[in-house]
Amino acid sequence: MQWTEKYRPKFFGDIRGQNLAVERIREFARHRGGLKKALILHGPPGTGKTALAYAAANETNSEIFELNASDLRNKEKLNEILRPAIEQKSLTKENKVILVDEVDGISVVDRGGLTQLISLIESTKYPIIITANNIWGKKLSALRRKAELVQLKEIDYKTIKDVMIFILRKEKNFVDNDILTNIAIKAKGDLRAAINDLQIIAGMDEPSDILDERNKETDIFSALRLIFKGKPTNDMLKVFDSVNMPIDEIILWVEENIPTEYQGESLARAYDLLSKVDVFKGRIYKQQYWRFLLYEYIFLSYGIASSKKEAKNLGFTSYKKPDRILKIWLNNLRTAKKKSIAQKYAKHVHVGEKRAMKEFDLIKKVILSNPQIQKELRLSEEEIEYLGNEK
Amino acid sequence: MVSEIWTEKYRPSKFYEIVGQEDIIKRVESLTNSLNIPHLLFAGPAGTGKSTLALIVVKELFKENWKENYLELNASDERGINVVREKVKNFARTKSIGNVPFKIIFLDEADALTPEAQQALRRTMENYSTTCRFILSCNYSSKVIDPIQSRCALFRFKLLEKKDIEKVIQKIVLGETLTITSEATEMIYEGSEGDCRRCINLLQSTSSVSPSITTELVSTILSDAKPKDIKIVLDYAVSGDFQKAREKLFDIMLRESISGQDVVKAIQKEIWNLPVEPEIKVKLTEKTGEAEFRIVEGSDPFIQLQALLASFVLAGLGK
Repeated sequence: MQWTEKYRPKFFGDIRGQNLAVERIREFARHRGGLKKALILHGPPGTGKTALAYAAANETNSEIFELNASDLRNKEKLNEILRPAIEQKSLTKENKVILVDEVDGISVVDRGGLTQLISLIESTKYPIIITANNIWGKKLSALRRKAELVQLKEIDYKTIKDVMIFILRKEKNFVDNDILTNIAIKAKGDLRAAINDLQIIAGMDEPSDILDERNKETDIFSALRLIFKGKPTNDMLKVFDSVNMPIDEIILWVEENIPTEYQGESLARAYDLLSKVDVFKGRIYKQQYWRFLLYEYIFLSYGIASSKKEAKNLGFTSYKKPDRILKIWLNNLRTAKKKSIAQKYAKHVHVGEKRAMKEFDLIKKVILSNPQIQKELRLSEEEIEYLGNEK
Repeated sequence: MVSEIWTEKYRPSKFYEIVGQEDIIKRVESLTNSLNIPHLLFAGPAGTGKSTLALIVVKELFKENWKENYLELNASDERGINVVREKVKNFARTKSIGNVPFKIIFLDEADALTPEAQQALRRTMENYSTTCRFILSCNYSSKVIDPIQSRCALFRFKLLEKKDIEKVIQKIVLGETLTITSEATEMIYEGSEGDCRRCINLLQSTSSVSPSITTELVSTILSDAKPKDIKIVLDYAVSGDFQKAREKLFDIMLRESISGQDVVKAIQKEIWNLPVEPEIKVKLTEKTGEAEFRIVEGSDPFIQLQALLASFVLAGLGK
């Protein structure tokens, strides 16, 4: 059996790491029939939204009626299934809670579903609990107004680890402490994911093996630290082997951070080597001769490490994530209009698009000088607007 | 419809209207009149009349059918081998319309074609020579592979001289009822660097501010159009602020979408204005040349330019 099911919390007391949310939902249950009849639990996956809803039902001795993304949820279906549920008394229990799970999963095929849900909220006799990962989309804005919002935060890694230890004890199983820490961190606040990982690892004969591998993985930060601050050693040649990142991305990281560590002659030498790395990269592309990769790695690690005279800056440097590619991408979005204008112009006057882009400043003025030209080039309104703004 | 873009409106449509390049015009005109032209290769700087001449040849040859018999491609935009394999071949393989037995493909900026594409072109030129003639244009004939050069009649276009540019300006000034001072004419000529298209564009954008063109007016337009910011980049570098120089450079390259090679070109010109010793200027020029070489060899111009900037930081320290 899945541990995530087996150890699903039954009551508020079983829920870990969401004290604030538990308080809010308790409050909601107490003032039943208050201002709002629905409650939205929202937060990242594995933080306990559905678990909280079930716990709330158990606490109030209620039957739970669940509708989730696996059900078709268009207008007709909701009317057919949910309407009776909100009107009829429970046969088995004193109370009833309606759970509409994963409401952000209501899709285009669920036509009219959301509107119908809202009107059902207005007429319901029983509390409706809704869960969602993200409620801030436009789609859910009407729903947001009709419901109380309770946010669930990512669960901190210590709590995750505590829960795992609790489960292992119950299962009479053992997993090494380091591995537990590792799983907990890797889960990034998703308790369900952590428990799933735990179950897999606890079931293995030698769980330490794969995770040891993961432990060894150097992150880019420590690799950069080693190169920028350490003496060049033969071991250094392999430093990027254990960084889980393509070399082209590593090059960008190095490029971005050389100036934070090196000055003057060291800076010039380091960049000179980086430039050689790039030349070899170019040669690989052009000649498909992959052995050149070797030189890329050597210059990038040992070479750049040897560029400094002596390690001066031994203190902690926080390295910047390279954002050049992102900026280029954003800029391309921005200049898409410029490009389309240049294209139209280029075709019209028998020049290349590249040249039109290059001389755009001047061309822009020419185009703006006469509305007739804008017509002649068949510029769209957006394009004309762009030109106007660029002025 | 007459274009309102002056580079089009005043584009010569007859051989005798072209300014400058007299010898070339004479030879090409007589070839055209004989209704049998070889493949032509026009080499020369931008804005000296290569495309214009090609268009005139085509219009003279085919008269009213010219559009059906003419394909214009710009190789700097579509530089891969597929252009040759698909567009060129598809056009070349069908027969021409009218009494001229061939069609014409004008391949502008042919030096931008990859070597593979040029190789593919070479066979195409021969295989379809009965139905198709090529007019290639390029800035540098050396970038066109020898086998293609040997299949073409080569014409070298020169930069337009001052008197030629003046003629063009005068014609437009008359046509558009403008006034211009002789100093302003001179300034437009200087700013155009012998590029006729640039000259006309300068004239049109200046005239949109006022129809009486003065040096003040031209200089505001000119200063706008120049990538002046490269100087700021170098100033930062020489004063030792590498980070600022790097940021600014990237910013310019993004905003102006200029290529690494263009930046190198601007840097090279700017070296002479730097406050450093002569031997350092020479050293920097050497570094700049090396950077340009590495840009061609490498894959990421921005990395090469940063390496170059680092040399400027050293130059600022007197090294």
